Amino acid sequence: MGLKQIGGVVAGLSVGAALVACGPNANQPSSGTSAHNQFSKSVSGQLKIYGFNPSDEVGKSRSDYTAAQLRGVKITQDTSSFDTQKFAAQAAAGQVPGLIYADRTEIATLADKKLIMPLDQCYATWGVTPTQRFYPSVIKDVSYRGQIYGVPEFFQAEAIIADKRVLQKSGVTLAQLDTSKPDQLLTAAKKMTAVSGGKPTRIGFVPDMPGSAAIWLAVFGGGTVDQLGRPTLNEPQNVKALTWLKQLSDAQGGYAKDKSLLDSMDVFGAKNQYVKDQVGAQVWAQWYVNVLSDYSKDVDIAAVPIKTLDGKTLAMAGGSAYAIPTKSPNPSAACKWAIELTSPTAWQKAGQARQQTVAKAHSINTGLFTGSPVADQANRSQYVKSSGNADFDQVIDTYYKILPDNRPMGSSAVGQSVSDNLNNAVIVALSGSKSPQQALDDAQAAALRAWGQSSAGKNG
Amino acid sequence: MTAASVGLRNTRSKEHYNRREVLAGYLFISPWIVGFVIFTVISMTWSLGLSFTHYDLASNTATAAGIDNYKLIFGDPKVLTSLVNTFVYTIMAVPLELAFAMVLALLLNGMARGTGIFRTIFYLPKMTPHVATASVFLLLLNGNVGAVNQFLGLFGINGPQWLTDPHWVKPSIVMMTLWGAAGSMVILLAGLQNVPRELYEAAQVDGASRWQQFWRLTLPMISPTVFFLVIVNTIAALQVFDQAYLLFYRDANESAPDAALFFGVYLFQQAFQQFNFGLAAAMAWLLFVIILIITLIQIKIGNRLVFYGGGGND
Repeated sequence: MGLKQIGGVVAGLSVGAALVACGPNANQPSSGTSAHNQFSKSVSGQLKIYGFNPSDEVGKSRSDYTAAQLRGVKITQDTSSFDTQKFAAQAAAGQVPGLIYADRTEIATLADKKLIMPLDQCYATWGVTPTQRFYPSVIKDVSYRGQIYGVPEFFQAEAIIADKRVLQKSGVTLAQLDTSKPDQLLTAAKKMTAVSGGKPTRIGFVPDMPGSAAIWLAVFGGGTVDQLGRPTLNEPQNVKALTWLKQLSDAQGGYAKDKSLLDSMDVFGAKNQYVKDQVGAQVWAQWYVNVLSDYSKDVDIAAVPIKTLDGKTLAMAGGSAYAIPTKSPNPSAACKWAIELTSPTAWQKAGQARQQTVAKAHSINTGLFTGSPVADQANRSQYVKSSGNADFDQVIDTYYKILPDNRPMGSSAVGQSVSDNLNNAVIVALSGSKSPQQALDDAQAAALRAWGQSSAGKNG
Repeated sequence: MTAASVGLRNTRSKEHYNRREVLAGYLFISPWIVGFVIFTVISMTWSLGLSFTHYDLASNTATAAGIDNYKLIFGDPKVLTSLVNTFVYTIMAVPLELAFAMVLALLLNGMARGTGIFRTIFYLPKMTPHVATASVFLLLLNGNVGAVNQFLGLFGINGPQWLTDPHWVKPSIVMMTLWGAAGSMVILLAGLQNVPRELYEAAQVDGASRWQQFWRLTLPMISPTVFFLVIVNTIAALQVFDQAYLLFYRDANESAPDAALFFGVYLFQQAFQQFNFGLAAAMAWLLFVIILIITLIQIKIGNRLVFYGGGGND
């Protein structure tokens, strides 16, 4: 390559770099944190919603109701699931939708990158007090640096669903499934586990790893992030939690074999693990009761709450939230949609629709767990009656009873990274590749590197 | 008119004719050139610039970062883990895929009838979407009830936990890669069909066994094809993403062992989960340089080993 050619390449690269450094929209406002109110009660124009799919009666009834409240606004919906890659491309092209519907763990990350706007004024415009309409923990999970960035929905807390047939066969009582007494629970799990040919055929106690790892850290008094969202993955309580989970896993055949058995279960079908007695007890979010209700005659179940080591009931859950992109073409309509769709009236419509579906299928109404205490109680008193199946009534009642003990999952600018690294640490530790301490140390180091890259991390 | 002037006019006419041909040639390939410039040259230049910046997606602006992103890469142990995983996978996948494709191609090449039907059947997996393939492999490779372990069980072999034991994660991804070996098979088959029949006849007259025919005749004759496949399959393996992502990262609530963290996956996470586009661009350039070096080494070695028939192997 001659000097002239080298010079040409260097010049080309320099131009490219200069183009990047200047950026095509360098003078545009970068944040939606302006002081003036961007939200108006008067709405018109178009609204494109991305990520929300009103496919079932609960979504459709609320969507229909909300669309009626936004008469005069032309609404289009991209019903595919929210995908950060797609949203990033839209943001880079300056063509973001008016409203997005994403997992709550994404909210703080999007806020940290200034891709969504704070919604405190949105709530205020419609006279809604967030912590009254929603569980306080849910609002915390969509908050970032003191401001609320999401309108949340659903809080389907986790509890333990036990197979009473397995309990009876193994001589284990429901009281022994007490997470505040880990040693006792470990013994009960061993008793309920069955192995054939070196492989487990029944798992005594399924803690739902790594999906519910954050909840187990909370059981042992730990957590994933601090008040600012900074990762705290390797604090001593978390190490204790993971050490116990490793003991539990090893006592039941080991992580790899248990996972293979879990992956082979017909979780949503007529031959699910409770029908086939493949588990003694398993941690499940509330929605799974609805799945089991289709097979109520074939299962024999009971539920117990998850408790912390000091005996307090613990209700934790992820969920979704609406958020408004910083460059939303129609923030007022987006705000009204989110507020109306999560209103008690909308949930009342959803409750009515669910009841009709349940009545038609002669099934059990297991309730709607909306993220809003007002809507939850209204729905329960109106539609969730005695089902005639004492087991299911007890299970449903358990899930309702734990709601006041709701706790945040933890909001962080690097929520996804924290979650990924924690899940990775759990797998690495349970499969024996590293000790729990080492796995969590590595996870913490990786999460902190991500934290250092975030605005929250850079600004302390 | 002197002989010199006639010669000059002929040369000019030839030049003129050649220029028109060249122009026509360029016109024919211009759609590709435009696409190459827009989607490769400009994009790569942009990405190189991006790798020296902190890019803010919200405002679509970038601030100069010097070599910060490259420093971060070299200070991140996960980058090393993902690179090692990628290399190990490449070393396992490329020879196995080539061998598997070679066996299939030899079988098809030796068939008297029905080659077209079998070629189509063998090629079908290549046409199957990766998502569908991954779903099937999740069932096939289940450690407790999967078909692969049930088959091994027939021979008294207690199969491993393919997808959950970190030691077996990479072999399971390699198995999924072999499912799509038909692409290489078709190219090898074309190479095999170009080997002159007379050479085999001569070898048979000389009493060469089948193995000797393959080793001393077939392989040298198709070595340019094999060499091409080694290079493109190595590049593809170093960029592995789909198989690992679909088997281990499809569910945000699940997680994968470290053994499944490939460079492409980690790059994706940095760009589209953490929105660290500058860092991701730097990672992409690191991979580009690695691929370039490996390819150059392969070409250097290949030039000694490949037989180009007419003398291109010097």
